[in-house]
Order: sequence, then structure tokens, then C-alpha cells
Amino acid sequence: MLKKLVYALAGVSLLACSSSDDPYQQSSAALGEQVLYRAHQQWQASNQQLVNSAKEFCQGEQNLAQTRDDFLQAQHAWAALQPLLIGPLNEGNRTWQVQFWPDKKNLVARQVKQFLKANPEPTLADLQRGSVVVQGLSAYEYLVFDPEIDLADAAQKQRYCPLLQQVAMHQQQLADDVVSQWQGQDGMLAQLTDFPNQRYAEPLEALTAILQAQVISLDGLKKKLGTPLGRSDKNIAQPYQAQSWRSQASLSNLSAEIESALALWQGVDTHSLRSLLAAEHADLVKQIDAAYLQAQQELAAFKQPLTALLADEQQRQALFTLYDSFDRLHRLHEKEVARALGVQLGFNAHDGD
Amino acid sequence: MRGFSFAHISVLALAINLAACGDSESTPVAAPSAAPVAATVTAVPATPAADVQAVSREQVINHYAEIAHATFADALTTAQALQQAVKAFLAAPSADTQHAAKEAWLAARVPYMQSEVFRFGNALVDEWEGQVNAWPLDEGLIDYVDGDYQYALGNDGATANIIANHSIQIGEEKIDVSELTAELLAGLNELGGSEANVATGYHAIEFLLWGQDLNGTQPGAGERSYTDYLTDTNCTGGNCERRGQYLKVVTELLVDDLTAMTAQWAADNPENYRAELQAESTEQGLRKAFFGMGSLSLGELAGERMKVALEASSTEDEHDCFSDNTHNSHFYNAKGVRNVYLGEYKKVDGSVLTGPSIAQLVQSGDAGADQLLQETLAATEKSLQVMVDAAENGMAFDQMIDPENTQGQQIVRAAIAALVEQTTAIEQAALALGITELNPDTADHAF
Repeated sequence: MLKKLVYALAGVSLLACSSSDDPYQQSSAALGEQVLYRAHQQWQASNQQLVNSAKEFCQGEQNLAQTRDDFLQAQHAWAALQPLLIGPLNEGNRTWQVQFWPDKKNLVARQVKQFLKANPEPTLADLQRGSVVVQGLSAYEYLVFDPEIDLADAAQKQRYCPLLQQVAMHQQQLADDVVSQWQGQDGMLAQLTDFPNQRYAEPLEALTAILQAQVISLDGLKKKLGTPLGRSDKNIAQPYQAQSWRSQASLSNLSAEIESALALWQGVDTHSLRSLLAAEHADLVKQIDAAYLQAQQELAAFKQPLTALLADEQQRQALFTLYDSFDRLHRLHEKEVARALGVQLGFNAHDGD
Repeated sequence: MRGFSFAHISVLALAINLAACGDSESTPVAAPSAAPVAATVTAVPATPAADVQAVSREQVINHYAEIAHATFADALTTAQALQQAVKAFLAAPSADTQHAAKEAWLAARVPYMQSEVFRFGNALVDEWEGQVNAWPLDEGLIDYVDGDYQYALGNDGATANIIANHSIQIGEEKIDVSELTAELLAGLNELGGSEANVATGYHAIEFLLWGQDLNGTQPGAGERSYTDYLTDTNCTGGNCERRGQYLKVVTELLVDDLTAMTAQWAADNPENYRAELQAESTEQGLRKAFFGMGSLSLGELAGERMKVALEASSTEDEHDCFSDNTHNSHFYNAKGVRNVYLGEYKKVDGSVLTGPSIAQLVQSGDAGADQLLQETLAATEKSLQVMVDAAENGMAFDQMIDPENTQGQQIVRAAIAALVEQTTAIEQAALALGITELNPDTADHAF
């Protein structure tokens, strides 16, 4: 214990001056710029594209297939952000405005209908006053993919287009606002780079917040796969409880999340959570590397959308195996990485589920 | 769900930092995995100092179990009172006997909601809970519903209406429900794998007593008439006898379930859960207590029970949605967290159970952490008292979540914010006792 304490005090004194040779500061800064901020920018760009896409579709300059593709891009960029939810996006109710899940009682369909009844020609202000359920990608997905809606039909297109465009607009505003809060002297990126600051007293705190976001995401992956898989006692698949079942992008979302979680782990050059542990925790690093690789390989092996896989008993077993891989990754990070870094991870929204 | 700041983990580290900055020379350290936080923790005496009222961790865990037992025992006696009231109602259905049964249900919720802090962390309770308090439900599984009823997509059970049918069809399976027994109904929970299929427990009883709340975010709760239980030609809603039988059976089952759970927490039984808990390390016992407090505060109460309903303006996601008792349920959930920390429980008979508390342990380890948690627990109770007062003055929880009701929304937001603060303080208190890994499931897991 004494040895540990000496290391700790020496380590702490090192962190103090944000010196460029402090590995904690370097990792926080590198992950902030290369992984976290970059993913926020990609999300912002995908929303800009979504606005253009909705507009062109509604003006008759673009077909439905392309419109759906553009939506899938935005949804993918959003899924990739899940392990990276620290800072502005994580505050207020912003994430809820982008995607509403789990949607246990199909609120999306009900609320879109109610909203359009009350606001046949919605303005952005109307949308922003309403429930988060109609403001985000979940509503957009409902409009462009739901089997009950056919946007190729002119009358329906005319009916739904105002909402489609306002949702895209709201998403863009949200993304612009969040990204602007990453920039500047007191922006989020600076707070991951220069310490102490208003948000973090030292780099280890920033890394703890990053690890916490990663752990919440890995925990969430279990929920996102486990819910449709039907892990209750009855052991019956629940395809409509899957995230993004309408766009059949459930698995693609999971892959995007895993890739981002891995990006945090591997980092850039030599600055990452992995590199911080490499010297003293070689076994753990090996285990985690292997666990990511396994999850990636299992995901890549699925050639059909989740709904189809759920209907096939053999594939369903493979999905259970994937669940176990997510569980392993989750536990390795929540317990072992936190322990190796010597930090306490706080409670999160999944606790108690 | 929230911005997470870890200001607390490095108060000591920061102090050291500031001192170190004067030094122009930083000694390079070979170990990047140095653990300042663990060191911070070990630097704090984990055992009570001699001058503080000394309580042992064993005593604290024992008293934690004592409070659990007293709370479940009260939940049981109030459920038995509910059972008597239901019997009286069914024997002579009238507005008065129905009202008495509703009052008994409301009274039964008071201790039960305080017991939920034991659910998280103690897997035994969590696994038992589904049959007792599952929600939100697709109530069309049980009885008739309004035409505009909203249910889970793909749930075959959502409109099965057990009361009106002697057999129900779920997918390819046909189930005989002609005889309504506890065993049958318990087996229908999560029918077809859907969590929304809830056939038993407090909320099934609530639905049978109140009926659907068709007022949305407008004033008013469920308005089921007592005539739904008249077994003569004045029966409304059809199948009154079966409805009465259903209500009778699920109320009995609730009493049985609470009897079993109360026994799990009784002292001096080497075979029960309490014995198992007390045989574990005190660290794991405290971890379970903290996990229950933190999970209920943040993920469940602030998140699932308030924020989902608020942000989605969803009355489908209101906890006691038929009776509009949600404000009380929230209040007593939070009360349960406070009970566990302070080692205090005010029983239904008015007496107060006190004893060695987690608060005392934390106080001797880190007085500041104890003070902060006590303050935030009090602040949460105050914010939920505001919610209770507003509801009693005519603004129920489902009205507060109306997007147009800014004042109501603010009441819910304030309660959520208080719970978030409280959760951070719970984390710090755990840290003061050297508990860095908060999840008992993960902490127990070996690779």
C-alpha cells in the first residue's frame, strides 16, 4: 500500500502543471480532439446533410431511397456518439431530443399523429415546444420508414413534409449549438486539454468522465440487444422493442457504438486509455483487446437485419453470444479499467434496470 | 442522462497538485497507472475514530436488514388491510366500499414504496418484484379498455381481456383462463415475452379499483364505477363476477408475496436472505445498501419514473397512473433512501425504528460527505413535498408533465435535479467508506 501511495503522490504532482509529458493530460487532450470532438463534427455534418436532404425530397428533387440513406447516415453518426456523451450533449435533455428509446408503447406513432393533428403546418417553434418524442431522429425514422406511411404518395408527402423538414432543422440547430460549446477558450475541448478548469480539476477526472461515458454505452449495448432478444424468463424475441427497428439499423447502430468505444480505448498514436494501462496491466490490456476483436467479428458475421435474425433460432443463439461479448466488455471496463485507473465510477441511468 | 462531474474524487489530489506546481521539477513516474484516488481513499481512516459514537459495520448491516424487515412487515399488514377492504367491497359493492378499498390501496403504497430502496442491490428482491409492482402495463390484458388505448407494438396480450374470456390466444398458443387462480395469473406476467403484460401486483389491483385514467394531462384519475362489480343485472362492463374473482385473487397473491419477502428479512433464520447478506463481507453489504440508494435515486426515480414521463409528456409512463397517486409514490421512494442512510424508519403504527446507521459510519470517515448527503436528502424530500402539496391542491403528476404547464414541469424538474445532487452525494459517502466499486453485481464478478 505504501508503494501505491508513493506512486500516487508522484503521479499527482505530475498531473499538476498540465505539462506536455503528463500521460493523463496527453491522453485526455488527444482523445478530446481526435475522437470526441471529431465525432461531434461528423454528427453535425450529417445533420446539415439531413436538412438539405429533407428539403430536396420535399421539393421533389430527390427520391425516397436517397432520403432514407441520408437519414441512416445521421442515425449512424448519432450511434457513434453514444460512448462519447460527455459535456454539452449530456446536459439538459439534449440526447432525448435526438432519439427516444426505449419506446415501450410506440409513443412515436401516437405523438406524431397527435402533434400533426394539433399543428398541421408546424413551425420550428411548435416543434421545440412539444414532446421530445416528435423532435428527433425517432420521429424522422417513423416518417420515412414506417409501414403505415408512404412518402412516395403525393398526398402523404404533402402532409408529412413540413414536420420532416422541421425535425431536420431542429437536429441541425441542436448539433450546431453543441459543437459551438466544444469550441473556444472555455469550450469542452479546452476543458479536456488544460487543467484545472471549471469542469475538471485534473486530467484524471476528465479521463474518468470519458471512461464513465464509455461504460454507460457498453451497458446500454446490452440493453439495446437484450431487450429485443427477449432475455426475460419467457425467452421470446421482442422485435418491436429494438432500437431503430423501422429502419432496420439496430445492428449497424451497435457496430457504430462498438467502434467508438474501441476508438476511446485505442486512442490516437500512443495516447489512450489503453496506453495508460499498457505498462502495469498488460494482461488486462490483452483481455480488452481480445474482447473488442471478438465483438467486432461477431457483429461482422451477421448478414441480415436484427428482425430477421431474431426469427432464426440459430442466429438467435449467435446474438446471445454477442450479448455475452458486450457483457464482458462492459464488466472489463466498469470494474477492471476503473480499478486500474484507481477511480470510482458514479451511478448511471442503467443502474437498477 | 446527466452531466457527471467528479469534482469530489480529487479534492485531496488537487490540494497536492497545487502544492506541487511551485516545484519547477516534476519527477517523471514510471507508473502511468498510479492510483491517486485509491490513495485518497486509503488515506482516510476507514474505521471510526475513537471519539465518535462508534458503531461497527456489522451493526450497521444488521440494522439495515432490520429496517428492511420492518418496512416489508408494514407493507404486508397494510396489504392485509387492503385484502379485508377488497373482501368487504366484493361482498357489498357500493361507492363507499369501493372508496374504502381505494383508501386501503393508497395506505398500502406508503410502506411498499419505502421498501423499494432494498430492491436494487439485493437481487433476491429485484427478481421477486416483477410480480408485485411491474409497470407500465398494457391493462387491456386484464379487462376492457377504451377504444383509444395505447399499447406496446407487437404485444398480442395487450387486448386479450382475461376477464371477458375463458381462453386467450397469444401467437399460436391458446391459453385456458376459465379458472382465475393466483398461479394462472402469476404465470401470465410477461406473457409472450412482453414486459407490458402485467397480470398481478399493485398496479393490476389499482387498475381494477380505479380503471383507466382517460383524462390525459387534464385533471382526473380513473373513474371505474363500483357497478363493475355488481353480480346482478346491474353489472356494468360485463363479467362482473369474474372481475371480482380476479381482484380477490390478485390481492391474495400480493399478501402471499409480501409474506414471503418479509420472512426473507426476519432475524435469526439461518435459511433466509438476511442470513446470507449478513454472512457476506460488510463491504459487500454496504455496497448493496449504497447501490440501492443510488440506483433508486438516479436511474429509477429521477429517470424512469420522472424524466421519461416529463420529457416525453407521456402519461403512459406515469407510475401510479390509474389512481393519480404518483406524487406519493415518488415521495415515499425517496423517503426509503433517506431511511436507509439515517437508519430510521417511521412505522405505520407511528413508532420510529432507529439504530446504527450508515450515516454514523460515514460521519466518522468523512464528516463533510455525511453533511452533504444529509443536506441533499433533506433537499430532495423538500422538493418532493412541493410535488405532494401541488398534487393535493389539484395538480396531479400527470398534469405537471403537460408541455403547456411550465409551473408543473418546474416542480418535476426541481425534484429530478435534487435527486441528481443526492446521487453525487451518495457516491461521495460510499467513497468515504472505501467503496469505489458501486455495482455489487460487477464487483462480485471474477474474470
